Amino acid sequence: MTRRSARRRIALSALLLVAILGTFLIRLVDIQVVHADALNAQAEDKRSIPQVILGERGDIFDSTGVLLADSVLRYDITASPKYAVTSTDVPPETAAEQLAPIVGVPAAKLVKVLRDAVAENPDSDYAYLAKKVDAQQFEQVRALGIPWVYYEAHAGRTYPNGAVAGNLLGFVGSQNEAQAGVELADDSCLAGTDGSEVYERSADDVRIPGSTVVTTPAVDGRDLILTIDRDLQWFVQQTLASYAKKFGAKWGTVVVQEVKSGKLLAVADYPSVDPNNVNATVQSPDPALGSRAFTAPFEPGSTFKTLTAASLLDARLVTPATHVLAPYRFTTPDGADVNDSEYHGDMSLTLTGVLKESSNTGLSQLGLRMTPEQRYAYMRAFGLGARTEVDFGAEATGDLNSGPDWDAQSNLATMFGQGLTVTAVQMASIYQTIGNGGVRLPVSLVAGCRLADGTLTDTPATEGTRVISATAARETVDMLENVATKGWLADQVAIPGYRLATKTGTAQQPDGHGGYTKSYLVSLAGIAPADDPQYVVSVSLADPVKMNTSGAAAPIFHDVTTQVLKQFGVVPSGSSSPDLPTNY
Amino acid sequence: MSAALATAPLRRPISPGLPRPEPVRAPRIEIAPVRAQRLARPRVAYAGTVVAGIGALMIAQLALSIALSDGAYTIDRLETTQKEQARSVQQLTEDLGRLASPQNLAKNAEALGMVQNANPVWLRMSDGAVIGTPAAAAGGSGVLAAGGSQVANDLLNGVPLVTEVSADATGAATAAAATPVQPAAPLADPELPLQGLPAPATR
Repeated sequence: MTRRSARRRIALSALLLVAILGTFLIRLVDIQVVHADALNAQAEDKRSIPQVILGERGDIFDSTGVLLADSVLRYDITASPKYAVTSTDVPPETAAEQLAPIVGVPAAKLVKVLRDAVAENPDSDYAYLAKKVDAQQFEQVRALGIPWVYYEAHAGRTYPNGAVAGNLLGFVGSQNEAQAGVELADDSCLAGTDGSEVYERSADDVRIPGSTVVTTPAVDGRDLILTIDRDLQWFVQQTLASYAKKFGAKWGTVVVQEVKSGKLLAVADYPSVDPNNVNATVQSPDPALGSRAFTAPFEPGSTFKTLTAASLLDARLVTPATHVLAPYRFTTPDGADVNDSEYHGDMSLTLTGVLKESSNTGLSQLGLRMTPEQRYAYMRAFGLGARTEVDFGAEATGDLNSGPDWDAQSNLATMFGQGLTVTAVQMASIYQTIGNGGVRLPVSLVAGCRLADGTLTDTPATEGTRVISATAARETVDMLENVATKGWLADQVAIPGYRLATKTGTAQQPDGHGGYTKSYLVSLAGIAPADDPQYVVSVSLADPVKMNTSGAAAPIFHDVTTQVLKQFGVVPSGSSSPDLPTNY
Repeated sequence: MSAALATAPLRRPISPGLPRPEPVRAPRIEIAPVRAQRLARPRVAYAGTVVAGIGALMIAQLALSIALSDGAYTIDRLETTQKEQARSVQQLTEDLGRLASPQNLAKNAEALGMVQNANPVWLRMSDGAVIGTPAAAAGGSGVLAAGGSQVANDLLNGVPLVTEVSADATGAATAAAATPVQPAAPLADPELPLQGLPAPATR
């Protein structure tokens, strides 16, 4: 071997070595630098699985701790159509036969879904077989072990008590988003925030230990506590609906409020929504998805006379024994013209008698002792013309009809509850104020938002405002007791052993064009027990075609008040109602 | 360990007066290690120890990794079990919720023949005084009564009444789950005596 050939071979080897090294180097740079990001991402995709951590929506409880709205998991059953149709182990037809009885979808329809998906797109990898099945159905489907069937968990919502308080709770949509009621109004308390995590997975789907990275922690929603009592709410709804159907009423509300706290114990609406099945209500002829007690103001009629009488007493313009001669018809020089509901000769009434007879003409004369400005100020102080502190979704303010600048007719009409509108909850609040010695307490429906450690936040205001004097309030209750014992519904309203203070109302409803229709809103509001006012019960029935008087509201008031007294253990005092003169 | 030490004994003493030795080729010399150096010389045993050590470490690591991934499978299995348990808790809670709903309780109570007395009367325990005016409840005076439940609950569809279940238990036990709730007639077994509630004889 010559020295020369050896040198050439060395040079060749070196060249080859450099060439190979160069190739590797270029490839290395290509992989590590040029395409690094794309390849990294690809690798991540292969191994790491992003996953949403569900932030659970908070529950809703009643005042006694009964669950009213519960967060649950629901499962969508999905399939890969392209694998399904080619599967020899479990062809679509066999699987559909097994699935159909579990998910409640006809087998033929399941097969059609799969076949149609493939017909449309041969690579179809995703189709819904069933949506929102519960845990039991899910376990059954999973047990079938069909290889091309997959599952997705979703947050769902269930309302164990159905339509009980459904009008108040509201409901959520298909994506668990709040749509009505306190679900919507207090969404900031209830809503959770989904988090996310990433983990790496081995070929056999097992999570590689230590690979989980929580990118965003999930935040669970907080629980909402209502002031409502579930059992009472159910009883009131059941009673209201039974009588409303019996009397052919279009709609109705009953509000039960605690006098000494302002808490709403029951707010019943008829008809009401079952949040588990909102569609059934939507398809009903007159759907009410919210709570009319908050959202539907009406002309209250004579139950409103209580407010006028209480205002007059507070201003010391009258006493319960003030005399007034009440004719059938009463006119004023400025053109106002009012009459009583039924013809009668002139009656010599006291203020108590005016309330007992529910005389429009008597009250109009006494009401004129007060300026419209004064009366308007009292109305506002009683909470009218403004949303209550509950601030329920779509809550109405009621309309005081441009008061205090009423025209002559409205000036009189507003004394006995026509020509202005209030909501059922506002009406209950008027009686609460009078029952509570003249101090109006903020109306509350939500007792608070409960954090995980049990502390309550967002608790409602409890500070009351004095609207009328304690004397005026007590005198008003005394007069209403006489209405309860001597009025025309005395027998139907009376609860043996208890003292009640009530006022009826039968209000003609406006036709929306300045006149009145032939339909009535009948109502009855009262305080029990009258000797130590604790509960307000306010009943309204709209257009009860089979009984067009407050006689339709009386049995509801009686049954509900009895239940309230029973349930909250109010023992009869044994005293009897004061006997005030109604005539002179 | 210095070169001086190692080379010192190798210098020949130069005696004066003697004729200068002829330059000869330097003899092959060797560095003689001192004792300490001899001891410091690596031996095969050491290499073996190191290799064995590394081997042991690798095996330990392998074992640890196996244990860890086995743990991952255990965790995975337990998590699956936990999820299944959570699902059955959820299912039972939902069942309990719907069964505890007032609509269901009232319906069952009235199916069993219970009535409610709308007339509240109180018995004061301290002196046995009866407060109120007692009056017997009328037959069939339940809250639901003739009108039936007016408060819808979609969850109760298909939930049988207790009376239906007990009737079913004696007869065909299969059809119950599918049959919708029907207002059963109040159970009034003519064979049973109406008086004589089972009461403990306490003295």
